[in-house]
Amino acid sequence: MSNLFPKSANKLPLQIIIFLFVFGGIAAAGVNYYMTPKFTRVGYAPVQPVPFSHALHSGQLGIDCRYCHVGVDKGPVSSIPTAQTCMNCHSIVKTDSPLLAAVRQSYETGEPLPWVKVHQLPDHAFFNHSAHVNRGVSCVECHGKVNEMEVVTHTKPLSMGWCLECHRSPELFVREQADIYNLDSQTIAQKSGVEAGEKFIHDWNIKPPQSCSGCHR
Amino acid sequence: MKRKFHHPAPSARELNGPRYWRSLDELTEAPGFKEQLAREFPEGAANMDGVDRRQFMKIMAASFALGGIGLAGCRRPEANILPYGKSIEGVVPGLPLYFATAMPLRKGAIPLLAETHQGRPTKLEGNPSYAPHGGASSLLAQASVLDLYDPDRATAHTRNGAVIKAAAVNDLLAKLSSDYAAAGGAGLAFLAEESSSPTRARLLAKLRQRFPGAIWAEYEPVQDEAPAAAARAAFGQDVKPQHHFAKAKRVVSLDADFLNVSGTNLCSARDFAKARKVLKQDDPMNRLYVAESNFTLTGSMADHRLRLASSHMLALAAALAQKLAPSSEAARLAAGLEVSPQWVDECAADLQDHRGECLVVAGSHLPVGVHVLVHQINAALGNIGRTVDFVAAEVSGASTIEALATAINSGSVKTLVILGGNPVYNAPADLDWSALQASVPEVIRHGYYVDETSAVAGTHLGATHYLEAWGDARTADGTIVPVQPMILPLFNGLTELEVLARIAGEADADPYTQVFTTIGNLAGGDAQQSFRKFLHDGLLEGSAYPVVSVAFNSAAAASALAGANAVSAFSKENLEVRFTTDYKMDDGRFANNGWLQECPDPITKISWDNAILVSPKLGKELNITPKGSAIQVARVEEAEFLRGRELAYVGEITVNGRKVRGPIHIQPGLSNYTIILPLGYGRERSGRVGQGAGFNAYPARTSAASAIATGATITLTGERYELANVQEHWSMEGRDIVREANHEEFQKNPSFVHDIGTESHSPAIYGEAGPKNEAALARDQRAVITADRSKDTPRGQSLYDTPDFSGTHQWGMSIDLNTCIGCNACVVACQAENNIPIVGKDQVMRGREMHWIRLDRYYSDGNADGGAFGGEGNREIPEDPQVSLQPVACMQCELAPCETVCPVNATVHDEEGLNVMAYNRCIGTRYCANNCPYKVRRFNFFDYNDRQLDSLYLGPLGPKGMPELVKMVKNPEVSVRMRGVMEKCTYCVQRIQNGKIQHKVRMAKAGTPAEVAVPDGNIKTACEQVCPVDAVVFGNILDTASAVAQAKAREHDYQLLGYLNIRPRTTYLGRLRNPNPKMPDYNKLPLSRVEYKNKNYPPALKDAPGKGSHDHSSLKSALSTGGQS
Repeated sequence: MSNLFPKSANKLPLQIIIFLFVFGGIAAAGVNYYMTPKFTRVGYAPVQPVPFSHALHSGQLGIDCRYCHVGVDKGPVSSIPTAQTCMNCHSIVKTDSPLLAAVRQSYETGEPLPWVKVHQLPDHAFFNHSAHVNRGVSCVECHGKVNEMEVVTHTKPLSMGWCLECHRSPELFVREQADIYNLDSQTIAQKSGVEAGEKFIHDWNIKPPQSCSGCHR
Repeated sequence: MKRKFHHPAPSARELNGPRYWRSLDELTEAPGFKEQLAREFPEGAANMDGVDRRQFMKIMAASFALGGIGLAGCRRPEANILPYGKSIEGVVPGLPLYFATAMPLRKGAIPLLAETHQGRPTKLEGNPSYAPHGGASSLLAQASVLDLYDPDRATAHTRNGAVIKAAAVNDLLAKLSSDYAAAGGAGLAFLAEESSSPTRARLLAKLRQRFPGAIWAEYEPVQDEAPAAAARAAFGQDVKPQHHFAKAKRVVSLDADFLNVSGTNLCSARDFAKARKVLKQDDPMNRLYVAESNFTLTGSMADHRLRLASSHMLALAAALAQKLAPSSEAARLAAGLEVSPQWVDECAADLQDHRGECLVVAGSHLPVGVHVLVHQINAALGNIGRTVDFVAAEVSGASTIEALATAINSGSVKTLVILGGNPVYNAPADLDWSALQASVPEVIRHGYYVDETSAVAGTHLGATHYLEAWGDARTADGTIVPVQPMILPLFNGLTELEVLARIAGEADADPYTQVFTTIGNLAGGDAQQSFRKFLHDGLLEGSAYPVVSVAFNSAAAASALAGANAVSAFSKENLEVRFTTDYKMDDGRFANNGWLQECPDPITKISWDNAILVSPKLGKELNITPKGSAIQVARVEEAEFLRGRELAYVGEITVNGRKVRGPIHIQPGLSNYTIILPLGYGRERSGRVGQGAGFNAYPARTSAASAIATGATITLTGERYELANVQEHWSMEGRDIVREANHEEFQKNPSFVHDIGTESHSPAIYGEAGPKNEAALARDQRAVITADRSKDTPRGQSLYDTPDFSGTHQWGMSIDLNTCIGCNACVVACQAENNIPIVGKDQVMRGREMHWIRLDRYYSDGNADGGAFGGEGNREIPEDPQVSLQPVACMQCELAPCETVCPVNATVHDEEGLNVMAYNRCIGTRYCANNCPYKVRRFNFFDYNDRQLDSLYLGPLGPKGMPELVKMVKNPEVSVRMRGVMEKCTYCVQRIQNGKIQHKVRMAKAGTPAEVAVPDGNIKTACEQVCPVDAVVFGNILDTASAVAQAKAREHDYQLLGYLNIRPRTTYLGRLRNPNPKMPDYNKLPLSRVEYKNKNYPPALKDAPGKGSHDHSSLKSALSTGGQS
């Protein structure tokens, strides 16, 4: 009996425990990195049916976000413009561009253009654009500098933890109402310090919800 | 360490005393019931039927393998955003739009606002522009949106079994029009439903012009309006009554269920509640006398209820008339009435004392004589022009179905056009309509479903839902309302107006044009502008029927009564049968509506079925009352009691040689020898939901006896049938649940609710003050105390971190039990708003219904004696109980017991006092449901949203997926829950959040961003908004001026199970009854209070010192001596 297990077997339990810790740690770290939105979503830049450039329209031409995304300050959804909105200009500008053929067709037939969704929240999260852009949160906080993007790219993780960063300390992220749609602007805290941000939070009675009901229904 | 509740140990009094009971099984403490009480969920709730473990593993192995393959595709799928090609005026994606429309039903309509999401109607609310309804709506209106998306509705036009195109239908109708025009319409017949539509009336006139020889018949199996002949006899004019219950201090109802808001009674119920509501100590309260054979919701509200066969209503009306306006006819008819003369005398005296402010109404099904007498009584009491007005009634001139049947029999009908209705199912049985219809050479049927009638029609034209059709209608008071489409017809259906217009040969048959023309003619002025206003307001102002002055003509009335005869008494061999409209199915037209099928009947609490209702006395004579100590409804052996399933005897009723069979349910409160047959069930061809539910009572119904039949007998077939009766589920072990008092007691002691119940003995919960002392404070002070208390929750000794109530609002709700009529509208409104699935009869029998609100119905007869379950008083099923109704949903307890037991923090508080559910965190342990003292949490045992109800048990390989059509009815603001998730009421958190956001956006744009508190009344929960009697009030209790804070500050506001110190945010206002002390059936205390008193202060303790006081020392001494001192 005494020969059944070699002496080195005495160390086995410890080795197993160490292995489990190391393996578990690696697995946890791996999941944490590779399976969270920070890795899976950031950088997502799908090919769109029309090669629309925000850098050109918003950055160079300086068209306000709300010209196209009309619903952003009214309702939960920042609506994608109808083909009619595009045609407001493109019935005069670049009327024959082959790149715009799909837009012209959509306008004529009413068939929608299948834009690919870049920023997508899970179905159980109810985000409301109007609640944010009317209360000091700029587009740039979630969407990044879209005015410099040729192709719209997912730049922020949009994970729950990331949302809560701002909901826990809004004073660091709020902007003057005039700067909301100016993606190159600075937050109040950057401009005039955190105290100014705190004052804004106080004056505007901003209490971002941190409980489930804020976003989940 | 979790907080632990120490329920007060039951005292000897509690163990021995009588108590509330909500089902006969509970009353008798049937073993099955006791077992169910002890369980968290009813038996079988956690088992998988039909799948054993081995088979489960086998099937799962396949899906594990599939899962492995699926891993490769775990990248999130690409999603598209599809914007409109052209912008649409007014549409902001994500925001709902509201349009005015109306739900027509027979000769009435309920004005509605339809909530549409990108062109898809999802929810209906009452139109607040129509003042008499004040924005309320009804059970049927709430559920009707589901019919629009019914996958079983007719999806094509067919002719001789083949699908035909819309163009072919137009040709067919044009040919019909031209073919019969030459002969003046001879050989052409129409059978339609009743309608109040002015456009239909206009088209009908054109039709008659074109086809003078055609027959136009209308048929409805049930009637909302009193017979026109009665008014003609009484007043010599074609008039109909308009009752003003709000002005009536005394109401006598003769078999009239005017609180059944399903039909056109919304105004009646609303007005009645206005006169019923008691807000202050010195507020007056109306008094309701009800004589009825059935047990209706109106009867449950009665202060004095008389059980009387419907056939004897004539004698009762005559006896009342004899006291108030004596005549020889009345004296003759009143003879032989077997009712205590004192009842009639005192009732009449009470009416006499309230001349001009009382009202007598009679059920529309009663014979002409009763209505003539009622008109006479109202005239004699000076009520006409005060509590009842008469308006000119349109004389329809339509033929009857009987006349049409005669014409068909004579062979003169060549083409029959059936517009809506379902005569093969619901025509009087003596006509043998199915055979008649088959004998007509050509039958064109226009219907919403391919139903029994379509089966014997050569051509079926698919009809539109009212939410996809242009039309118009009149409300009960005659106001013209638009029926506006929210969506294009989903299956190219035709409206009735278009069919009529095409047959009438109109150049432009488009229903929009037709309605536009009608309204243009009526409104005058600029047609475009007035029509736009009509659509915007949802009503045509000033279009209500004008009031006409009437004079009672006693000579004509006497001659109308001359033919009437008193009916002799009934017995077991000579039963009376009463055919009633079902609260949910109406006349059967809603049979395929799952929301309505699953909604339990408000009185019997049976869902998915109807039953033959018999009185306890008849039950005893039939020998179906259980013997021994266990008295159960329609069950003999307690061993046969399957939990939640009511094992009913099947009975066969023979009336006039016609037989129907169905399960028997013993219903306390019925007239002894009256059998109730609810109509509307037993559909043979209706769709997956309605088929096979219940039994069909129409085959026993003849034209001569369409509402009341006599001479019936009942026999038992020996078979048994399982009914899904929800009345025993979720018991609260009957204590001081519904707190009631008589109005006179309330006037002396408005805080009577605090003298009842365990809290009155436990001041510790509230510190120094205690509810009783607080009730003595001024209301404003109390509102401030409530507001302060809501912000600060004492942590006590608990390690559990109590929630932080730092929000701007603290939400609360108050439910007025005094006006709640138990109509179930809130149950279905909640279902529509919150995407609550239906689960099917099988699941309901297992206690898995998902309704977030349930309406508890308690019986009390005052006889439940000290011996609780063995005593003599409990051995009999009470024949004449009082009913107490109580809606119960999640109370949003501030110290919620469900939260402390959740292992994953899936249910936690938010800062505004909501007990919220994070569905994605829930792992389905069901601990929370176990720990909920109110039993208001609901668990998704299956993926009810994703599975057909008949394939729930097929496991992972079973068919999955919601039909596209059904997806469209879902509210996009609310998550659709999946299997294994707990859910419950959250005070419509989506409405709260959206209301808050919209207010913040408005304020930010107005330049006052700091004002984030939402004004009172901006946010309404679905149950509050629908409530026809305004019994539910919701709002911010921090705002002491808000309606909810004011309601909670009333003296008779109490917490359900308040002694648990869980601080529910929903509180109740105690119920009041207003009996007449001079009546023979007067009770000094409501019967439930009698039972409460007997239980807590049993006679054995009466002699003990300090009886009836809240003195603990005397109680203790009484207990220590066993009450023998």
